[in-house]
Amino acid sequence: MQDLLQNLNEVLYSPYFGVVLSIFMYQVGILISRKIQNPIANPLLIAVILIIAFLKLFDIPMEAFSKGGDLINLFLAPATAALAVPIYKNLQILKANLKPILAGTIVGSFASMAVIFGLCKLFGLDNTLTASLLSKSVTTPIAMGVTEQLGGIVPIGIAAVIFTGITGSIIAPFMVKLFRVEDPVAQGVGIGTCSHAVGTTRAIAMGELQGAMSGIAMGLAGFFTVLWAFLFAAIL
Amino acid sequence: MKIMMQLAIIFFICLVGEAIAAILPFPFPSSVISMLLVFCFLLWGPLKVYHIHKQTDFLLDNMAFFFIPPAVSIVENLHYMEGKLAILIFICFVSIFTTFAVTAWTVTAMIKLEEKRKERKRRARLAAKSQ
Repeated sequence: MQDLLQNLNEVLYSPYFGVVLSIFMYQVGILISRKIQNPIANPLLIAVILIIAFLKLFDIPMEAFSKGGDLINLFLAPATAALAVPIYKNLQILKANLKPILAGTIVGSFASMAVIFGLCKLFGLDNTLTASLLSKSVTTPIAMGVTEQLGGIVPIGIAAVIFTGITGSIIAPFMVKLFRVEDPVAQGVGIGTCSHAVGTTRAIAMGELQGAMSGIAMGLAGFFTVLWAFLFAAIL
Repeated sequence: MKIMMQLAIIFFICLVGEAIAAILPFPFPSSVISMLLVFCFLLWGPLKVYHIHKQTDFLLDNMAFFFIPPAVSIVENLHYMEGKLAILIFICFVSIFTTFAVTAWTVTAMIKLEEKRKERKRRARLAAKSQ
């Protein structure tokens, strides 16, 4: 009996375990988010909480889950590369508003990093935490790359990205009113630059032009954040 | 194109991206290089959207799924955030507002600037005509 249990325990270290658990919990997350229809019910957030709860509840070590996790990680770079396709598909809209979009994403991504850097220094946070937060306004795959490059902690960076995306998408309509942004292009670029993909889903709900703009801005802001990161790497 | 071939194309581009990142004299995320490569190949023509669309649609539709493993490992890093959670949330909030405002205002200002320039050109043309 003891041997049997021991053998079963080893199954947890099979890569299939982490992959199956991730897919199952993600599907549960999608189901819940469809039912609740609120940005807080983010599928990724739900899946991550459920998986952590599951691992803690059954006392399963993180190394067991990581066997499958490493397999999923293999698709992170391809997922980032895929971001180029929607930008290419919206090339006409991008060309028609090239200068405002470029100016907005270049200045906006710098403002984001400068404010974070300033506040981190103000509160006396160490360089590791600062580096983890700096790229939090851009889409997760790019934020991971930048966080790694700056010497931050990738999981904390991802948590900040998810928090920013969810908060941004909730308060987007409020910010539009507060800052009196009437132009749909400006609304879309603003939302995409400050709250990436999660915000973009909200921008799509506000209008087709806002959605397309937000999607384009999200990719461009990510790219410019990578470039600005060189500046912040030098002063960090 | 067959899904196997599409996967091979994307993986190959990612491999080239890593090779370029390895050659570059400064650290640069290889995934972003791969993104630029896909964009340039689409723009210059050797790559068409239909060559890769099944694969990229799958990746884009399920984008969030691929971040589950790195996000789950936050439990191993919680001690870094101990006692600083309120500060971190405050920083996130402030930066969301400032980033949105700065971006949206920059875009609005640029649009107005371009409109003014067009208006000036139009007037100049009208003045030239009337002379």
